Amino acid sequence: MSAVVALPHALLQRVRDEVQGAAWFAALGEALTEGDRAEADAYARSLGLGALSLGRAQDWPEAERVLKDPEWSTAWWDREEAWRRALQARAETRYPERALWTALTELTTGTGDLVHGKAAAAAARMGGAAAASIHVAAGAAAQAVYQLALARLGEDGSPLFDSKFRLFAAGRWPLGVVGSTLLLF
Amino acid sequence: MSESIIVKTVDELQAAPEEYREAVAKLVISHAINELYGAQVFDEPAIAYAPTPYAKWLTCRVAMEEYGHHVRFKQLGQQMGIPEERMMPGGAKRPLSIFEFPLKTWEEFVAIKLLADLAEILQVEDLLHCTFHPLRNLARATMPEERFHAQFGEDFTAELIKTPEGKARLQAAVDEYFPYLPSFFGGSKSKNNEIFRKWHIKQRTNDEMRRDFMKRATEVATRYGLTLPEARQAA
Repeated sequence: MSAVVALPHALLQRVRDEVQGAAWFAALGEALTEGDRAEADAYARSLGLGALSLGRAQDWPEAERVLKDPEWSTAWWDREEAWRRALQARAETRYPERALWTALTELTTGTGDLVHGKAAAAAARMGGAAAASIHVAAGAAAQAVYQLALARLGEDGSPLFDSKFRLFAAGRWPLGVVGSTLLLF
Repeated sequence: MSESIIVKTVDELQAAPEEYREAVAKLVISHAINELYGAQVFDEPAIAYAPTPYAKWLTCRVAMEEYGHHVRFKQLGQQMGIPEERMMPGGAKRPLSIFEFPLKTWEEFVAIKLLADLAEILQVEDLLHCTFHPLRNLARATMPEERFHAQFGEDFTAELIKTPEGKARLQAAVDEYFPYLPSFFGGSKSKNNEIFRKWHIKQRTNDEMRRDFMKRATEVATRYGLTLPEARQAA
């Protein structure tokens, strides 16, 4: 059993800096770049769901249809959740529980306000978004930050949450897996 | 008898009468704890029950906002000199009874957002004219998010009642949870409420708020063809 060590505040500050520097939702609807494709490929491979093709939603109504598609892959969500729980359990044995909980809560609630504003700006710029979809985007982005923080705290070797965050940082929104297609907005 | 006092900053609070300071501290502690319980017991577990990524991420955002309310109330409490432990679960303050029932289904969560968040809106509304301005401002900042959470409840209620099976499951959830909600508003002869009103920290009696809640809850339930079971009233 490993000893409990002080929370690495410098590491968490680096995550906050990356959050501040990200191009949240700035590239929604744009054509995918080579960099986007490479990051999406890394994310898809680390999900471990077999071969996934890459698709794209072009506007908010299409993204909303993807996110409400009854054929969505629960395996994708469950895979992320299983890895998130494993990382969280690892962090809880390594760091003081209260300090960890407080730091992650403050990180995600602070992130929530930032990304909500960015999503609202993207929705206003593009038009056609349902009001609730701005909240959905903010929830997805803040979840990605929470996952990234856990991965960094757990010194995770898997690129799963890092590559997912990189997609958000590049202004995209990974919408998840439907059938055998990973969809980006 | 009511007392006239306006406290514009946390610093000014130090010069306020002891009864006023204690009353404000009780409210801040109560909100900090209940926001946290709500997020832990209902909002965060509901993410797993949400049926689509759209609903899951929307629920993520709701959970985050509820945690954010806890953080805001806790930060105000810390500025006031309240130890953090008193604003976290496990302290002397007991949680509301509804938090003793772990969430089991998506329909339960929708029922809670539809009706329990309406109760939360009433509690926050009563602070919108609070004489302690940092608490008043916090209530004003929180209110749009609370309204969004209640709207979330309405939107998913509208989805669920599209099928007889969905409506039946939602009605069962309402039947299970609603009876606990009127006691949110405290006892009819609450000494705390008397002090809150004396200092214009809060505006209404517990019974006035409870009656308003019952009226508004009945209206919203009726709008979606749901019925409210007989509720337990506070002593």
